This record gives sequence, structure tokens and C-alpha cells, in this order.
Amino acid sequence: MTTERQAAANRRNARKSTGPRSGAGKKRASRNSYYHGLTATMATSAERAERVEKLARKIAGDSKGTVILEWARTAARADFDLAQVWWLKIALIERVFLFGELERPKLFKSVRQVSAFFNAFDRGELNIPPTPVDAAATMPSEEGDRLAEAVRRVLPELLKLNRYERRAASLLYKSFYALNRRAVAE
Amino acid sequence: MTKRDESMQEPTATLLPALGVLITESVDDFNRVRDALIQEIKPRGIIDEILVADSAQSTWEILRLRRCKAGIVNLTFRDALKRILRNLSDRGSEIYNDIDELSYYYFTNRKMKKRVLRFLAEFQLDESAIEAEAIRNSAEDLERIDRLLASLEARRNKALRCIAEFRGDFARRLRDGANRIIDSEVLALEHQQGKAPPAAA
Repeated sequence: MTTERQAAANRRNARKSTGPRSGAGKKRASRNSYYHGLTATMATSAERAERVEKLARKIAGDSKGTVILEWARTAARADFDLAQVWWLKIALIERVFLFGELERPKLFKSVRQVSAFFNAFDRGELNIPPTPVDAAATMPSEEGDRLAEAVRRVLPELLKLNRYERRAASLLYKSFYALNRRAVAE
Repeated sequence: MTKRDESMQEPTATLLPALGVLITESVDDFNRVRDALIQEIKPRGIIDEILVADSAQSTWEILRLRRCKAGIVNLTFRDALKRILRNLSDRGSEIYNDIDELSYYYFTNRKMKKRVLRFLAEFQLDESAIEAEAIRNSAEDLERIDRLLASLEARRNKALRCIAEFRGDFARRLRDGANRIIDSEVLALEHQQGKAPPAAA
């Protein structure tokens, strides 16, 4: 349990740093937890926001109700989110199709290996760093097999994306059902 | 013209987010799948169109994953054959030294294939044993693909169910509307003919 003394020290220390002050610092800190932006349904660009709004108005049709327009906006955003996941999947598969892996091959497997290399270098021992395995060379040459192998290598990422895809699809159907219920009630 | 009117008149194709295919896939094939669904479902209105597009996406991905599933099993075939031959042959067996060569040429050279099948037959095995081993080796990947496939199939079915339900509701609305019109017209006609309208329930 935190003692009174510790709590006082925490308060004192907290006063020393109250986070970023400049506009740029605040903007940077606002993206601290940003990983891939898939959970953020907010439109990421002005052009996208405009397109989402256009689609929402088309979905809402003649209706002037704000509730209907809001459901239509949710549906439009979800539809664009689904398209975003679609393009992400294509980008990931194609990257592995071309380069064999998503990450750049690393020269060293661990920090220990890096320090061992530089220690040897300091001692004047010529130590050639290991050459990374070219992942592209391990890919099959035939197109169909290569695609299958690319999909196999990217499966963990596809499963992660599937979570976001399911969430967006569920939002899309939920808003369509809500719109349909409204239409039935009217 | 207001912003609302503009988007109402814009063609739906330009409003929906654009979709593409992999470099190894054909855009024409994708369009054929989508057009077949459009032909079958005949979307009425923007919601139908979005749902049909969503079904087309899911269907395309299902086809892609099914192709890859077969491809993944095929890719492990050679390793599976090698493993079986190693398991079956003793260190002294004449085949033991040729395992690499046999598993390499099994798929291209008929003579080599015959030799492998003859060897397998000695242990009451055939080609299906290689396939079973290949599936066993890629079971983890196949299970992951199956999870993706199940999710995509559920999404496609949900989209189609939505269309059917909305159409059912639409048909009911039309029927109710038509009944109301008929009822009010009948009442109006009866009223004109001097008959008293029935008491409201």
C-alpha cells in the first residue's frame, strides 16, 4: 500500500512534469498509443470524411431525421473501415509475396550479439557480422505456390485484422437493422 | 442544389469505397463474381448495393483462401514424402541414400514416382499417406485459414440474410400500405353510397 510519504513524493514529482507544452509536443503525445488506427472509426482524412458524409446522405435518403442520419453515418464509416481492412490485407500479402517477409531481415538476433560484435571490434578482432537470410529467396517461384506461401506467412496478421473486420461488419449490419426498424416504424 | 441533393443524384459506384485485387489476381474475375451476385440479387437501393458489394468481397476472399489452402498442402508435399520415406527405410536400405532425389523427382519423373509407390506398397501404403502427412504438417496453418473462412462465410451469409429480411419488411410495408389505401377507398365508396361506416374498433 502507498504510504503518505510516497504519495507526497509522487505529487511533488508530478508537478515537475505536466506533459508536453508546445502544440507539436501535444500533437505527438496524442498519438502515443496509436498503433495502426484500425479501431479509430474517425475519418482519417478530409477527403475520406467528405466521401463518408456523401455516402451517409445517400443511405439516409429523403429522411431528414437526425437519428437516421447518424445511423447512416455509422454505416458509411463502417463500410469505409471494411474497405480499409481489405486494402491492408492486400498490402500485407503483396509485401510478403515480393519480399518473403514483413520485417527487414536483421543482422543480429539480440542485443547481446550486437555488443559481442562491438566488443570484438574494439579488441581489434576482425568480426564480420552474419549475413541475413534473404527471405525472398525462400519463396517458391511458381506464382500460385508463391501466393499460398505469402498468405501462410502473413496468417497471424490476417487473423488480427479479422478482429477489426468483424467489428466493422457488425457495426454496418447493426446500423442497417436500425435504419430498417425506423423505416418499418414510419 | 443542396449537398443532400447532390449526393442523392451521384451514381452509387462513385460513392462506395474503391476495391482492388492482388497483383496475381484478375480484376475481370473479381468483377465477374460481383456482377453475378448483382444479376442474382438485383439490388434495389443503396443499402442493397452495399450489402451486395460486401458479399462480393467476402466471396472473393473465400475463393482466395480456398485456393491458398490447397496450395499450402501442396507446398508441404515434398517434405511429407521425405519424412515418410525416412520413417520407412532402414539406414541400410537402398532407398535411404536416394530419399532427397526421390522426393525431388517424384512429382516430375514417372520412373521415380513408380519406385516410390512400389516402396510404399511394401508397407501397405499409397499416395494418400503422403497427402495425410502433408495435411498433418500444415494443420496449424489450415486451422487458421479455416477460422478466417468461417468468419468470412458468416459475414457473407449475414449480408444475404439482411437483404432478404429487409425485402420481406419492404414487401410487408407495401402490402400494409396497399391494404390501407384499399380500405380507405372502400370506406369512401360505401360512404358515398349512403352506407354508414362501421364503428371504429
